[in-house]
Amino acid sequence: VKRPVAVVGVGQTQHASRRSDLSIPGLVREAVDRALADAGLDYGDIDAVVMGKAPDQLEGVMQPEQFLAGALGAHLKPLIRVHTAGSVGASTALAAVTHVASGLFERVLTVAWEKQSEGNAMWALSPNLPFTPPLVAGAGGFFAPYCRAYMARTGCPPHIGPMVAANARANGGRNEYAHLREPMTVEDVLQSPVLWDPIRYLETCPSSDGACALVVASEEQAKKGPRKPAWVKAGYSYAEAMWVPGRDQVSPQAGRLCAQKVYEKAGIKNPWKEIQTVEMYVPFAWFEPMWLENLGFCDTGEGWKIVERGEQKMGAHLPVNPSGGVLCTNPIGASGMLRLGEAALQVMGRAGEHQVEGVHNALGHAYGGGAQYFAIWLVSDAL
Amino acid sequence: MAKLRNVAVVAFSQAPIVARDEHRIASEILYPEVRSALDQCNVERAAIDYQVAGSADYVDGRPFGFVNALDVTGSWPPKQDLHLEMDAAFAAYYAWVRMQAGDCDTALVCGYGKNSEGEPERVLNLELDPYYQAPLGLGPSATAALQASAYMARTGVADRDLAEIAARNRAAGAKNACAHLREAVPAATLAATPWVVEPLRRGYLPPYGDSAVCLVLAAEGKAERMCDRPAWIHGVDQRIEMQTLGARDLSRSAGAKLAAEKAFAMAGLASARDADVIELCSATPAEELILREAIGVQAGDRSVLNPSGGPLCGHPLMMTGLIRLGEAFRQLSGRAGAHAVPNVGRAIAHAAQGHCLQQNLFFVLGRERRWT
Repeated sequence: VKRPVAVVGVGQTQHASRRSDLSIPGLVREAVDRALADAGLDYGDIDAVVMGKAPDQLEGVMQPEQFLAGALGAHLKPLIRVHTAGSVGASTALAAVTHVASGLFERVLTVAWEKQSEGNAMWALSPNLPFTPPLVAGAGGFFAPYCRAYMARTGCPPHIGPMVAANARANGGRNEYAHLREPMTVEDVLQSPVLWDPIRYLETCPSSDGACALVVASEEQAKKGPRKPAWVKAGYSYAEAMWVPGRDQVSPQAGRLCAQKVYEKAGIKNPWKEIQTVEMYVPFAWFEPMWLENLGFCDTGEGWKIVERGEQKMGAHLPVNPSGGVLCTNPIGASGMLRLGEAALQVMGRAGEHQVEGVHNALGHAYGGGAQYFAIWLVSDAL
Repeated sequence: MAKLRNVAVVAFSQAPIVARDEHRIASEILYPEVRSALDQCNVERAAIDYQVAGSADYVDGRPFGFVNALDVTGSWPPKQDLHLEMDAAFAAYYAWVRMQAGDCDTALVCGYGKNSEGEPERVLNLELDPYYQAPLGLGPSATAALQASAYMARTGVADRDLAEIAARNRAAGAKNACAHLREAVPAATLAATPWVVEPLRRGYLPPYGDSAVCLVLAAEGKAERMCDRPAWIHGVDQRIEMQTLGARDLSRSAGAKLAAEKAFAMAGLASARDADVIELCSATPAEELILREAIGVQAGDRSVLNPSGGPLCGHPLMMTGLIRLGEAFRQLSGRAGAHAVPNVGRAIAHAAQGHCLQQNLFFVLGRERRWT
């Protein structure tokens, strides 16, 4: 990129299954107001707005950035709206980074949100595809075979999913913004019903109302700001076709390539040694070991062993999703930006009770589509 | 204006617009256009660094419609990618921003979505705010009629003036092989068509249709090798306004005015009248008048307006804006065929989306590079 870019403000809502106290603009404003206050900026300081969310069918409003333009403070400003399925929150933030990197904009507001209580996610996520029998099973029914294939391929035992889920909830309990914070044990997870074999009820993300907003800015602006910024060392978004013979759905090439590009650009040679924490998109517990492998933290078949040894817990070698991640909070469109925002908070040292000690480099990751879209950034405490 | 990177449109391909492409799904309509655009610049997909598309799930009548497009844009091995839930002209805008940021020299920009799968009058109602405006049942014809009324009340423009603008567009569209409506129709005939929503008659409203479009952008150093006559981008800007219809002066487009001023300043274009061709994304004759006022072009000026026939001769939602940019390229690069305007040196392409010209985007393009 042409010039350095930093995250100078982070804001998120209180996430819940129903924020019936707020309209859609109200929900978005809760996050945006907090991000601007965090950056010490006001609406008038913003040069452009980049908004993202998942399918408009989730709330039943087409291209809602149009009716939100006033609430976003975007009147008479440039605005773009991103949609890359589940990865959208992350690809939206990366598009905002590009705006600043181009040299054309100094301070860009980016926001991603979903108010799932306005609609029915199972319906909205069960498309009728041409030439494909409808599953009517939502995202869980779609991804369960991928998890099953991972288990078959690597010998991942059946207690790994429950271990991931219980750990995510323990982390979420320390995050004041998380939707699900009640502790649960591995035994609780094992006792919950199987929804889509092998995925159990308690290994599944919730449906949430929530929003996340970030302010990204140039080096000059970042150095003027009230707080220590998070420097975006690298960020890329990649996608791959669905119908390709030999496509590896368990460890998609787009994910591996995207991570590789990010590491290359950021100068990371050994991610396991050089990255202190990762916020990754785990909507179903089994994806945690799958993404540990796909992101290059370990070799194929080693991801579940990291979980079994507990090396991804708080206080261990590589805390994964210290915020509790998608398993505790899932406003779909916002989930990717929350991963990137949480990674930024970790390098800023402002993650509160779920702060990991000694973070210099943090990775934020999201995926979407049929495990086809990947968006990843690496943020650092030093320029 | 700081020096920017010279980027050009080097290829454009468009499926001729039809009311309904009966036997193909959206991605099947797109595939030949991607191939054709790559063939025009004599490269394979591997030569393109970045892809960005524009479409809308509600136009497709299903969530994740854009995911299917990955299968026909050569996204294997995986490609750097973004999708905007917008008219694909904004995808071209973002690709240009991306290329200014560096480490990306070429981009594929696609627009698609099968309008005939749904009923645009009802679908576009869902763009309005869900609390106060959408429940009124307003569709795009009704909101466009509110805007036309406001403009006519302020300026005294009459029904006959709208008919003449529509007739001029229809006459131009008759020569455009990609247009949907290709018959010249006299103003008197259009003025006799029934009201859809007064003051807009059937003849003053656009036909929705199916199409797919693919455009290729390339930076200086590569553009010259990919196209004999690249259309260089001289200036770009876009602005959105708040939506609330009652809070805006609908008889004017403040967003179009500001975006045009910024784009012209970047381009070093003193006046829109210095452009030889102007392609406006005006879905009604009243929108054309409002946009002309916003950019400062009057009847009788030398610039040729919408030689393609404009949206009144073909309006595939989420593609209409990118087609304006493609038309500017066709005119500048000598590829406009029967609707070519002679000796085009500079062109303006405009895109809009939302009700009553809520969001506006301008490109200024020229035969020569902008920055040296």
